[in-house]
Amino acid sequence: MGLFERFFNNKHNSSSPMAEAGSAVTARQRLQFVLVHDRAEISPATLALIKDDIIAVLSRRIRIDREHVTMQLTQTERETRLVVDIPLLGDADLNLPGRAVGSPRRPLTSQSS
Amino acid sequence: MSATVITITSGKGGVGKTTTTANLGIALAMQGKRVVVFDGDVGLRNLDIVMGLENRIVYDVIDYVEGRCRLRQALVRDKRVTAGELYLLPTAQTRDKSAINPRQMVMVCDELRKDFDYILIDSPAGIEQGFQNALAPADRVLVVLNPEVSSVRDADRVIGLIEARGKGPAQLIVNRLAPQRVRKQEMLSVQDIVSVLSTEVIGIVPEDEAILSASNRGIPVVLNGKTPAAQAFHDIALRLLGHQVPLVEPQSVSWWQRLLGLS
Ligand SMILES: Nc1ncnc2c1ncn2[C@@H]1O[C@H](COP(=O)(O)OP(=O)(O)OP(=O)(O)O)[C@@H](O)[C@H]1O
Ligand SMILES: [Mg+2]
Repeated sequence: MGLFERFFNNKHNSSSPMAEAGSAVTARQRLQFVLVHDRAEISPATLALIKDDIIAVLSRRIRIDREHVTMQLTQTERETRLVVDIPLLGDADLNLPGRAVGSPRRPLTSQSS
Repeated sequence: MSATVITITSGKGGVGKTTTTANLGIALAMQGKRVVVFDGDVGLRNLDIVMGLENRIVYDVIDYVEGRCRLRQALVRDKRVTAGELYLLPTAQTRDKSAINPRQMVMVCDELRKDFDYILIDSPAGIEQGFQNALAPADRVLVVLNPEVSSVRDADRVIGLIEARGKGPAQLIVNRLAPQRVRKQEMLSVQDIVSVLSTEVIGIVPEDEAILSASNRGIPVVLNGKTPAAQAFHDIALRLLGHQVPLVEPQSVSWWQRLLGLS
């Protein structure tokens, strides 16, 4: 890399190996992650165990896409939430042709408490 | 008249509590206030060294608590400040944290309150008894932290404990900020820290080489000169006194600004 390029690159190219530029971004992410777990007093490892439990319980009744279950602690000023996203395995996954082509089904939400 | 007791704490060690206590104490005295800086770090006392008063100590607060002297005898006058009054209340170097308890800390501060405007307590690191001791008499708590993940994390824990004790809301002092590195995205910014801790910042102290030589000499930076850290400590002292001093995240001068003579 010539001097000229280097002069401009080191400022604008964040993946430049010249400096540890960008490590503040990692710091920010790690900080948010660790604080949310500290405050909730739930370690990432505990969360992983809970995830396994949920998958086991649900799988007894319904078919879920185990590989894509996600769990996340989120936090706002006022509350901490455990957000769990569980994709269900539906007809489409049973290799039924035609479903993807047909008119899309209207999105629906069902909440029960 | 009754003093305000301000405890300076942090959670993580080595972030600048003692440096901050010494400089704020002096800066407040320079504003004409009557100030005691109280070393709360039994067994690892440092405030005397940082202030350059280590040779003048005869008695310490533990001697007082155990009845070997009067409280006045344990106070070491710092004669370098002529505007107000400044005293160091040292602690024992050869005892442990259990040599004094929270109730006794409150008693000592209560006795000092009537004769002074500010009592600044230099808390030890950690969240154990030394921290509990330092917190007990506090009217106000300042949490010192560095722009590093581990320091911010520990500050978060301590802020929670301070609140649980009914001593909140704490205020933050971000120490050792290097604007140049923030600009290059190598260091957390004050904005980053505030957004995760949602706690008010009362001061931003830049990384300053003068701090090391100041502690080598026992002459805190606010005593002479206008180094960036000295300026920051003077500003914090004014804010503690209720003055409106705008808080600006220090900006570094970039190469092109320097090139164009813009600063
Ligand atoms: N703004 C600054 N710029 C440069 N160096 C600093 C700054 N603040 C503190 N330091 C240095 O950091 C070191 C630790 O400071 P200090 O002793 O005040 O921390 P502390 O929080 O009291 O530590 P401990 O937890 O051990 O009591 C010292 O060597 C000091 O000189
Ligand atoms: Mg200290």
